[in-house]
Amino acid sequence: MRESGLQAVPFLAPALILAFFFLIVPVLWTVALSVNRTRGLNFGDEWIGFDNYERLLTRDSRFLDRDEFPWSGALINNIRWLIVYPALCLLLGLVTAVLATRVRYEAVFKAIIFVPMAISATAVGVIWLLVYSPDPEIGVLNAVIGSVGGDPVSWLGRNDTVNYAIILAYVWASTGFVMVVLSAALKGISQEVIEAARTDGATEWDIFRRIQLPLLSLPIAVVAVWMIINVIKVFDIVYIMTKGGPGGASRVIAYSYYVETFENGLGGYGAAVAVVMLLLILPVMIWQIRRFRSEAVVS
Amino acid sequence: MIKKYALSFGALVLALSLAVAAAACGGSDDGGGSEAGTGTVSVLSLWGGGEQEAFQKVLTAFTAETGIKTKYESARDFLPVVRSRLAAGNPPMVAIIPRPGIVADLAKEGSLISLDDLGLDADAINDNYSEAWTNLTTVDGTTYGVVAKANSKSVVWYRPDDSKVQPVETFDELKTMTDGLKSDAQKPWALGAKDSWTLTDWFENIYARTAGADKYNQLFSGELDFTDQSVKDALTRMTDILNNETVSGGIDGALGLDFVGGIGKVFSTNPTAHMYMEGGFVGGIALADVNPDLKPGTTIDFFPFPTIDDAVGDPLVGGGDVTAAFVNNEDVAKLIEYLASPEAGKIWVSTGAIVSPNKGVTADAYPNELVKKEAEQVTGATVFVFDGSDLLPGALGEDWGTLLQNVIKDPSSMDGHLDQFQQQAEDAFAG
Repeated sequence: MRESGLQAVPFLAPALILAFFFLIVPVLWTVALSVNRTRGLNFGDEWIGFDNYERLLTRDSRFLDRDEFPWSGALINNIRWLIVYPALCLLLGLVTAVLATRVRYEAVFKAIIFVPMAISATAVGVIWLLVYSPDPEIGVLNAVIGSVGGDPVSWLGRNDTVNYAIILAYVWASTGFVMVVLSAALKGISQEVIEAARTDGATEWDIFRRIQLPLLSLPIAVVAVWMIINVIKVFDIVYIMTKGGPGGASRVIAYSYYVETFENGLGGYGAAVAVVMLLLILPVMIWQIRRFRSEAVVS
Repeated sequence: MIKKYALSFGALVLALSLAVAAAACGGSDDGGGSEAGTGTVSVLSLWGGGEQEAFQKVLTAFTAETGIKTKYESARDFLPVVRSRLAAGNPPMVAIIPRPGIVADLAKEGSLISLDDLGLDADAINDNYSEAWTNLTTVDGTTYGVVAKANSKSVVWYRPDDSKVQPVETFDELKTMTDGLKSDAQKPWALGAKDSWTLTDWFENIYARTAGADKYNQLFSGELDFTDQSVKDALTRMTDILNNETVSGGIDGALGLDFVGGIGKVFSTNPTAHMYMEGGFVGGIALADVNPDLKPGTTIDFFPFPTIDDAVGDPLVGGGDVTAAFVNNEDVAKLIEYLASPEAGKIWVSTGAIVSPNKGVTADAYPNELVKKEAEQVTGATVFVFDGSDLLPGALGEDWGTLLQNVIKDPSSMDGHLDQFQQQAEDAFAG
């Protein structure tokens, strides 16, 4: 039986109205702000077209500095996050998930890896601030380096280490989540398949490489998308650990948005940063939604 | 299904009515003359802990005198909170603004209520303060508040029981002492440069003492280019005394250490540095939070930032917070008037937390010799300049600190950074 689309309207209306007011309107509002010469966070009288975007992408060295290679700035830092963070999380999450299934104290092991998930990003930042402290009497890491005769390293004070130091703290906090998801997916793989492979003479590595990994590709993709979107939006841990310093070296897009909008009171310029962030997230989301659709067809 | 529908609809109605209510509240700050108050005044500032307790004493005294209640709110992220509340049409009635550069921004946006509009006699209130202070609250000839508290930022902290440090009077002597301590187990200087304003304070002290107060004021008001040779000379002098050899933990170490951590390097039970250059407020924080065993005058003391050029003298670099009103009513006016009075100033300074710029607050009101000494420095200064990075509009204050972090790390990059900052400055001062 074929129904006309109109019948669905009354049922969808509440959700559509809510989505319109709380999602569509704010997005359009932000886009409008970004092309306006704003007064504080409110609209001003003058429309300035793409001036904010032009300044952001060509004349704001804290956001994107193309003067010398390698490029730097908040946008580049976000790309650094985008590459290192999901890769490390997935690698560590996968390794711990696979190894955990092979030991007797699996529950305890997984609980320990998962504990950081229960800690807010703010607290994670504070904990790692102490770990990285340049004073060996406070910083565990520098105490260890000192005990083998090395000089203390100011992890958060050096341009070349600051981003990776923060990323590592965030990886520590999210590996547990990746492990739990992948571990559950591993449990879902039928034991008979694996036993059949063993009977056929497959090694443990073959089993991992040719059976478990392909069957895990869907959960890995889901987790990867979740992490990519998270990483484009990352803010809290940067704010807590470095406030974007030293010398702006650890700024990320969301932190730039915060500084421009709230610290500097440039509502329009901040909105332009937000729109750039949205444009980066959009392709990932579209890809994700497409995939959901194609899977719906398959199943 | 019906239930769900009703729920969503209810939420929508609620949201719309909130939006309408917010819009209705938005325009209430127009028009002159004071309306009757509501009996309670909300006050927002970034002070917490000891600073908040000290201010609360003043508010309590205000309530005792007038019967008007106060509601104090603390927001460490002061600007973000104020800006979002302004955008929502729900600003605090009174706020204590930590950066006077922002006073002008907010006044030009039309967010602040002038003393005249509050029905107060601006001239009479301004008579209590010297011009250096009233300049901070006056935008285009209109006065938008009063300076709540003052701080000297031209002080070098040291331990009198540390035999290797003697108070000095000239920068050359300071440099000689610094060089002599380079190979000491404790480095000459502590620096908490993760908080970039500690660097802007260093620069300001050197600049004011080499280029003079006039050029200083021109520089921070956009009349003199940041690429000027005087700026480069001051930066060179600064990196000459603060570098990997003289700063505890090296420059990288300093960039990973915050302001309070810097205090600890000199005044903790296990010091790793001899001296710390920062504002008068270091004393209170060191005594309260870093090492309660410190004895003012015996194990903690300061000397004024030394003279660099006799012809220029010693302009005092100072900081201060401005009390301003966002809502116009009689209660608010009474609170502003009270905070500008010598009585309020005396109660406030008796806590040891602040120095009052109010002429009516005399030296005997101060509780310990560190604050008294600072107050004498503030009131006795022949030339006073205001913390420049706090005067810069909008984004510049923050960016100037970021620039100094980069310059101190690599002094040879100075020219490129200054060129770029000058362009940003031209945009910001024009806007």
